[in-house]
Amino acid sequence: MLSTVRSIALRALFLLLGLAAVTPLTAAASRGFNQLLDAVVRIDVREVAFEDGSRRFTGGVGSGVILDAEGLILTNAHVASPRAVEISVTLANLERVGATLVGWDHWTDLALLRLDLDEIKRRGLKFSHAKFGDSDRLSPGQTVFAVGTPHGLTRTVTRGIISNNRRYFEDNTGVRGYETGSFNTWLQTDAAINPGNSGGPLVNEKGDVVGINSRGYVGADNLGFAIPANTARRIVGELTRAGTVTRSYIGLVPGVLRDLENFYSLELNTGMLINSVDPGSPAARAGLRGGDILLAINGNKVDGRFPEQLPPIQNQIASQPVGSALRLSVKRGTQTADYEVVTEQLVSRVGEEWALDKWGLSVRKVSRTYARENQLPDDTGVLVIGVQPGFPAAVAGLSRGDIITKINDTPVASLESVKTAHAAYETAPAAVLVEARRNFRVSLYVVKP
Amino acid sequence: MKSPSVFLAILLILPAFARAADVAELWRERLKSVVAVEFFTETELDRRLSFAFATVVDDQGTIILPAAAISGRATPAQLKDFRIYRPGEPASNFSVGEYLGQDLYTGWHFLRIEEKGRAGLVPVTAFAGATATAPLIAEEIFGIGLRKKDEDFAPYFLTGRVAIVQTIPQRTAVTTLEIASPGLPVFTRDGVFAGLGTAGFGQSYVMFSERTRGGQGVVLVNSDECAAFLLADEILPHLGRIPTNVLGRPAPWLGANGLEPVDPEVAKFLKLESRAGLVVSEVLEGSPAEKAGMKERDILLEVDGVPLPRLKPDGAVVGHVEREIDRRAPGEVMKVGVLRGSERVTLDVVLEDSPPSPREVERKYFEQLGLTVRAFTYADGVNRRVKVADHAGVIAHFVKPSTALTTAGLRTDDWIKEIDGQEIKTFQDAAAKLAAIEQDTAKTEYVLLASRGGETAVLRVKLK
Repeated sequence: MLSTVRSIALRALFLLLGLAAVTPLTAAASRGFNQLLDAVVRIDVREVAFEDGSRRFTGGVGSGVILDAEGLILTNAHVASPRAVEISVTLANLERVGATLVGWDHWTDLALLRLDLDEIKRRGLKFSHAKFGDSDRLSPGQTVFAVGTPHGLTRTVTRGIISNNRRYFEDNTGVRGYETGSFNTWLQTDAAINPGNSGGPLVNEKGDVVGINSRGYVGADNLGFAIPANTARRIVGELTRAGTVTRSYIGLVPGVLRDLENFYSLELNTGMLINSVDPGSPAARAGLRGGDILLAINGNKVDGRFPEQLPPIQNQIASQPVGSALRLSVKRGTQTADYEVVTEQLVSRVGEEWALDKWGLSVRKVSRTYARENQLPDDTGVLVIGVQPGFPAAVAGLSRGDIITKINDTPVASLESVKTAHAAYETAPAAVLVEARRNFRVSLYVVKP
Repeated sequence: MKSPSVFLAILLILPAFARAADVAELWRERLKSVVAVEFFTETELDRRLSFAFATVVDDQGTIILPAAAISGRATPAQLKDFRIYRPGEPASNFSVGEYLGQDLYTGWHFLRIEEKGRAGLVPVTAFAGATATAPLIAEEIFGIGLRKKDEDFAPYFLTGRVAIVQTIPQRTAVTTLEIASPGLPVFTRDGVFAGLGTAGFGQSYVMFSERTRGGQGVVLVNSDECAAFLLADEILPHLGRIPTNVLGRPAPWLGANGLEPVDPEVAKFLKLESRAGLVVSEVLEGSPAEKAGMKERDILLEVDGVPLPRLKPDGAVVGHVEREIDRRAPGEVMKVGVLRGSERVTLDVVLEDSPPSPREVERKYFEQLGLTVRAFTYADGVNRRVKVADHAGVIAHFVKPSTALTTAGLRTDDWIKEIDGQEIKTFQDAAAKLAAIEQDTAKTEYVLLASRGGETAVLRVKLK
């Protein structure tokens, strides 16, 4: 909210997913570069959407890069998510093969797919794979190439330079409504990237993958952003191992210290400002509050003077195992004290979604994070994200934004309890009493055949 | 063969002429019950001019303005220079009015005209009928409209017929055409006071544009004239409710927040037959309702043993209950019948005077800083989901645009919790701290900890 850091004009960023326009390749291609070209794929995804009170299907096109001989493909989380029902990969030789989702991580906008190796074997297809370069060694001005499927134009290569190697931006709804960018900085490039480039690699002249192209500014010329390879490498490891990335959360909202050192009597480059502490979070329970200065985590000093420095600090906290005790050294006024904070698992504000077709209602589970942000007493309930006009829920008066807290006499503790009530209605349609809240006002509705 | 029909026509028309002349006379006489009111609302930066129309209610120069005539955000101290104009007289002739306050139950603002300005005024009660009778459907009603100041508030005649009479929750007649300026009286054809014109009734239109295809629905509200009036029996019994203080205290308080009507389908499901009910969304901390044992999600069914009326639209029942509270005095017991699960419970609620509202509490404008702060109120706690024990700090009531404060990110209605690292407990803490900052010419910056939407932020405000 108040934090300027968080409210950078990120809404103007578009996701590079979609379809038309070409820039020709004019680079002297090395052997490594040619091999890279053979590792870049086009990804067509058909996925389910729950938005309008029903289950519908949508589709999109993105890019990806094959990482190994086992057929692991790295792409963006906003290209392939758990909502995908059918993923089809077009190899460099233009052959199409099926793939499945291994896992995704919207925080870094990365997803991992696996090619259907049986199909590959059966059809005798061949593919190449790329290798990661070191993104920490990139310097502004260095030549890079973006490879992908802009607007559906497969195998498009564009050239540019690294415009900035440590761009900070966070977007609370950046990956299809999910949070992104809190734990990593981004590479900025002027290599032309367009909708459809999403998930394709950003490579150096040797063909090493230094980043995964992800997004660009709407209405701007050649302001593109990529996830650094060193971040991607770590996430690929996690996704391969566990299918998901588990992070720790303590509830600190960081701010930059720039210009505030005098006020807090701090040496330059010392500490991170805590702008806010989420109510009810581990940090709040430990007694931390907005205006405190975080000096060190487990004895390791932190420096959050500039916005670019915040994601690594956030990542340091997030990388701790869930449930571990952190020793935070905190300055408040003239006092410095240590606080022990036990981490809990980080959850997205976006809960699981489902469509209750017979009621014409699509819902999303209220997550702990959503409840905190919206000052709800707890995570009971499901949020209405769509109603189909003329269907029972709409006729009863329910609308988008309502939070259903109770169905008949059963509090809605999980998405499962809503599904159960809906299944009962499906077999024997009968009037159901629904309790819902909107802006803290509680209303009753009768959903009936 | 022609003459009989001509004769017949004359017979029919003649009385109509005679009666029309009567109405004009009746109308002219009743102009003595109406005045135009001009006043200023002074805020930190502006001095806003407003006009409203008022009805004379007694021979002490007391006049009433409708609730909407004065913004609810303005404090009585901000209302300045009330001037009273007579319809059709040169605007250079005016008398001075004194603001007496707003009555909570009726919503009226009461004013008193200075003594020398009262000559020739006739209270509207002089035109009241012997018995209060509701107007009949199709009955003709006439009233007074007033033009703007540049036309000397010239009066004009308005007339229409009663289309429907509804209880929403006040008894209100809607008319076929506009019958009065807002707040001005209307009369039956015989000149009997029928009620006061009430604004806010919009009409739905479809707007077509040459550029876009299809029509777009719009609701248009005529803010100069009304096609509805509150019936005389909603007015006459309450004209004596002249506030004894400008804040309109005492203000009875129940503390059941977010009353949401149950619709007929829900009532049927809950086996409430055709009764009206209101879901209590929230029982406020420390309120009379809480003390009496009211619970969240109770369904309010009765007040003093009387079932809530089934009013249409459903939401009108909320207004009914609010008026049931407002017409009582703090200390009175209100018996409230609720449905809790499947159980009927009766609660004896002892109403209390409500906690001070944001417009009543201390506030101060720091001109150099471009900031008005006011004390944190009970209502601020409710809106921000803060327990009474945690009430502290001050509210940024006004933040001057394009100043260092807005650059720092402070906005109106932010909750200031710390100033320069010092926790702010009370309004006095904040006022002292801000005054010191304002006076310290050597100071180059100050730092606020502000909260918005449950999240805090440290704001650095540059002074130079």
